[in-house]
Amino acid sequence: MRASSLIRLVGLSLKRDVRGAVSSVFGVTIGIGALVFFVALGLGIGRVVREKVFPVDAQLVEVVPSQLTLGSMLGGGKIDQATVDRLAALPGVKKAWRKMTVRVPAVSRYDGEFFGSRLHLGLEVIAVGVDAELVRADVKLGEFIDPGEGQPIPAVAATRLLDIYNHTFAPNRGLPKLTPTLLLGFQFPVEFNRSFVVQAKPGPVTATSMQLVGVSDRGILAGLTIPLDTAVRLNKASGVDAETFSAVTLQAESPSHVPELAARVKEMGLKVDEQDRRWAENAGAAVLLTTSALALLSLLICLLAAVNIAHALSASVRTRTKELGIMRAVGAAKADVRALVFAEAAALGAAGGALGSVLAVAAAFALDAAALTWLPQFPFKPDSFFSIPIGLPLAGVALGVLASLTGAWWPSRDAAAIDPARALAG
Amino acid sequence: MISARGLKREFSDGDGGSLRVLDGVDLDVKQGELVAVMGRSGSGKSTLLHVLGGLDTAYAGDVTVAGTSLKGLGDHELARFRNSTVGFVFQSFHLVPGLNALDNVALPAFFGAQGGDAKGALERVGLGAKAGRQPSQLSGGERQRVAIARALFARPKVLLCDEPTGNLDAATGGEIIELFKSLNAEGLTVLAVTHEERVSAVAGRVLKLENGKLT
Repeated sequence: MRASSLIRLVGLSLKRDVRGAVSSVFGVTIGIGALVFFVALGLGIGRVVREKVFPVDAQLVEVVPSQLTLGSMLGGGKIDQATVDRLAALPGVKKAWRKMTVRVPAVSRYDGEFFGSRLHLGLEVIAVGVDAELVRADVKLGEFIDPGEGQPIPAVAATRLLDIYNHTFAPNRGLPKLTPTLLLGFQFPVEFNRSFVVQAKPGPVTATSMQLVGVSDRGILAGLTIPLDTAVRLNKASGVDAETFSAVTLQAESPSHVPELAARVKEMGLKVDEQDRRWAENAGAAVLLTTSALALLSLLICLLAAVNIAHALSASVRTRTKELGIMRAVGAAKADVRALVFAEAAALGAAGGALGSVLAVAAAFALDAAALTWLPQFPFKPDSFFSIPIGLPLAGVALGVLASLTGAWWPSRDAAAIDPARALAG
Repeated sequence: MISARGLKREFSDGDGGSLRVLDGVDLDVKQGELVAVMGRSGSGKSTLLHVLGGLDTAYAGDVTVAGTSLKGLGDHELARFRNSTVGFVFQSFHLVPGLNALDNVALPAFFGAQGGDAKGALERVGLGAKAGRQPSQLSGGERQRVAIARALFARPKVLLCDEPTGNLDAATGGEIIELFKSLNAEGLTVLAVTHEERVSAVAGRVLKLENGKLT
């Protein structure tokens, strides 16, 4: 049978039972609409978790000294330059970046203008020195090198820290919201080897200042990221350990190298800090689980829609027995009759799938707009809670068709099995 | 044109037994003949027609129509045979609701028949002016004319008619019979099963089906 003939007969059949067709389409619309909506929501929330809340680079491995291992007893627990060289030489390692915490406490006492507001604040500062290359791409002001004594220390803030400031700290204190660009060049005083809460080390207090030069996903969350040489200099000046590193960030050649790399690191008596990765995985798993449960529910609705279509088509085939018989008499093969029933189901499924997908996308846009207007600001609040890749609505249409074709399986068999001689008798 | 040898067809009687409605039927119809098969209701006339037209395949014996032996043909081949070699006319017309007269006539084209002239066929049966009418807008006689036009659409070699005037009044039935006469005069082979004398009256040959045998 030609496609044009098939389309014509399908149109004729659907037109004759509009109510039945609408009922079938409605079921598919609800199922596919719910599925597309929940999957888009899951993808969107997953993206927020991955990119904003726990931005974990799948190629990075954070190596820290082990607290108590056989390796540490043998001297392998500390990370000195020789250990860094050994780590950098491991197979699968592309780059190794050293990190050294400033091992004396530090405070900042700020009293002055802060982007149009008056700010009087004292707070503890944690500073970690890193190899410049780790954050160089995000440094937007000057060079990320040790400026020497008496000069402002270039510092990089974490993207997440800025987000928390903008959505929690700033609204509570009546302070302005800040963008990475606005922050560039902001200077504030810092005193090393001074603390509000712990006892300072025996060495001298170093009073200096810091200047923000960028915001980076690779910056440390609870503090500021400064050049490694600066951290070494400050530790030396305070008379504390300036030889060993607090961590090394390894960049694997690919994410697939990470498990083997982690195993090698552990063999060296060192530890892989997987806290961020574990949090990200746990949050991702929770999102995936919730999304899967909702998607399963939606698939169940699709299944019910398929059953509904099966009933509707069975009834339609029964009422059209004579009509199908006459088609057989004028030249329709069994396969033609079966194709006709399948084509009717496919048309219903495609219509339901398309309508469901359109409604789901519209609902997603509407909810995003409502969230933007009505929901209060909170940390990591996204511009959109949904992620709708182009393939998602298309998959919705395809699934609608598949569900309908599944429902049409038995009715199409019944239709093809109609005995034309018996159907036309009497 | 039509040759049947030793045709047998049984149906279940619903009590575990069987009912033989065709019991060794032999039939020969030459090209251009108009043959009537008569018999009382339930004598197996329609069954014979269904077997000869390739609608019923659960028979024993041999059937050849227009040089095509139906024995062993697959579903697709039988569909093609029904589509182009034979045309059916039924007592209840069996038009497809929702399709207008012209589309009903062209229905065989939906399933592959090529070169048919639906408009010409409608004009041939005197309904050229009613091509756009739905079946529900036509009288019984007009519906049967549309059904005949549909049977003629693919220029079949044989017209198989099952009680073609059974649902029509005397005057309208007479017009349909005249139509068959004129089609036969043009060379079309016609086999009509009927219990009406007025149909058999115009047939060149009348056969009687009784107790599963054709005499």
